[in-house]
Amino acid sequence: MFDFLIHSPVTHYARTTPDHPAFSCTGAELSYAELDAASNRLANALLANGLQPGGRVGIYMHKGLELGVAIYGALKAGGIFVPLDPFMPTERLQFILDDCEIRHLVSANAMAASLARLQGSFTGRVYGVDAEVGLPALGWEAVDDYPDGPPDVWIVDQDLAYIMYTSGSTGHPKGMMHSHHGSISYARWGAQHVGLTAADRVASHAPLHFDLSIFDFFSTSQSGGTVVLVPEPVTKFAASWTETIEQERISVVFTVPFTLIEMLQRGAMDKRDLSSLRWILFGGEPFPPKHLRALMEKLPNVQFTNVYGPAEAPSCTCYDLPPYPEPFDEPVPIGTVSVNSVDLIIDEDDRECGVGEQGELCIRSSTLTRGYWNRPDLNERVYLYRDSFGPFPDVYFRTGDLVVRHEDGLLRFLGRKDRMVKTRGHRVELDEVEAALATHADVAEAAAFVVDDESGSKAILAAVKPAGSAAAEVAALLQHARTKLPSYAVPQELFVVAEFPRTSSGKIDRKQIIRQHVKTGDP
Amino acid sequence: MNVEALRTYIQNEILNDPDFVIEADQDLLLSEILNSLSVTMLLVHLEAACNVRIPPEDVTLENFSTLESIAGYVQRLSESAG
Repeated sequence: MFDFLIHSPVTHYARTTPDHPAFSCTGAELSYAELDAASNRLANALLANGLQPGGRVGIYMHKGLELGVAIYGALKAGGIFVPLDPFMPTERLQFILDDCEIRHLVSANAMAASLARLQGSFTGRVYGVDAEVGLPALGWEAVDDYPDGPPDVWIVDQDLAYIMYTSGSTGHPKGMMHSHHGSISYARWGAQHVGLTAADRVASHAPLHFDLSIFDFFSTSQSGGTVVLVPEPVTKFAASWTETIEQERISVVFTVPFTLIEMLQRGAMDKRDLSSLRWILFGGEPFPPKHLRALMEKLPNVQFTNVYGPAEAPSCTCYDLPPYPEPFDEPVPIGTVSVNSVDLIIDEDDRECGVGEQGELCIRSSTLTRGYWNRPDLNERVYLYRDSFGPFPDVYFRTGDLVVRHEDGLLRFLGRKDRMVKTRGHRVELDEVEAALATHADVAEAAAFVVDDESGSKAILAAVKPAGSAAAEVAALLQHARTKLPSYAVPQELFVVAEFPRTSSGKIDRKQIIRQHVKTGDP
Repeated sequence: MNVEALRTYIQNEILNDPDFVIEADQDLLLSEILNSLSVTMLLVHLEAACNVRIPPEDVTLENFSTLESIAGYVQRLSESAG
């Protein structure tokens, strides 16, 4: 039906169901035929302005129909798309643009103020912008002068489709490379597991730079369905989100537990007709059972699935919950490996663990990342090579997550091996938070840690020890952190302490800081 | 609660930055002045300061996107309650 590239379904459905909406956003729609033609024009514009196959194309805009055109335009030109969080601080944006050598940036007039700050550092061209930003720019009108036909580029499924940046322990984000082959495997897993059809209207609730979005965009296009783009401000208001589900007749949602708990507590669900919903997938962090039970009770006709997988190997395991009211109080299992994956649980000495033994989960999967951009040091550490079937060593990804397999065959997630934490579905390296705080002149040392928050997620807090006799103003330090970190990684509270409690080995005792400074309620 | 009082509250209690410039018609979400956590803080404050109860279905983008829209919503709510 399709050839071997992640964007091929768009061309296919532009021929078979040209008028069917590929994207919908606050009432406006873009059909498969319109998407195909518009993305061809962008691809032709990118190539005419010097993009080479394998060149990186940054995508820097809020949710809107142009986002679809940008992704497919980049892919059709043989480019690799790089989602850029429209809310990230300029310094972080500049780091990624440099690190990934991005010379082509598809953006929007709404981003003009941020784009103008790139003057002098960004040496490429901006597309989709006709506002004056002091950079070479091409507005959509100019892009639309390029031909409608598909550009003549030759790439294969081993080539990269996207690079996704995530928190890195050195204080800088790291880019995860994913091929067309891996993306298709992820997309097809999603389309098959959920049984997506052209009639489905799948929410794009997660930001593009979060790997759930690959399911939203590409599992949907595999089946010729419609992606409903949910504008970022709507995602902040549970009642607006449930209103959007009703109005847009959304049938499938893949999101983080935090969103669903908000929806349960503040979404005024009883006042909305949510009968279009048929499947909710959640992942990113554990879902507290009491909230999940309450949500299932309110939505008895919806299938719920717990999806597990680091962004390096998305959706490598999953668990379909039995219908409510089968009672459960235990955390939901992460289930069994998906059809495109194999699991291996190993102990500290890389020996395979048996049933009931806790170990690190390693994953072999067709969705596996091709590694980190420009980071051979990391690539050596995260892969495990095992000769399972003969002379070719099989490549496993070390997830860094501790799991255990119970007698029932299902995997349970136990926690992170290192200090990477999840807050509201975003992955944050606490080391990066500390590194960012410590870059301030008034800070001698910083300690970041997490405590449970009211919604069942984790809140990041931090303590700092001032340098010398410096005052270390909390407001100024938080402001500094905002320029270094994505908003979700900025500590919610900051304490200034004269000295840190220490462990016997001289390390900062974070547990002791929590006991001293954080008022925790009863567990 | 008027626009000025709202602005002061957000500057002091949410942003911890009394000098942060917020226009009355500025989109508080797209400019990341508010997020889901600070919206919750704001709700608790509004309910206490204005002696109203804000039903969940009213906590929408329409009512909470700008200082002006929040002030207008709270005023309508107070009038209908009083």
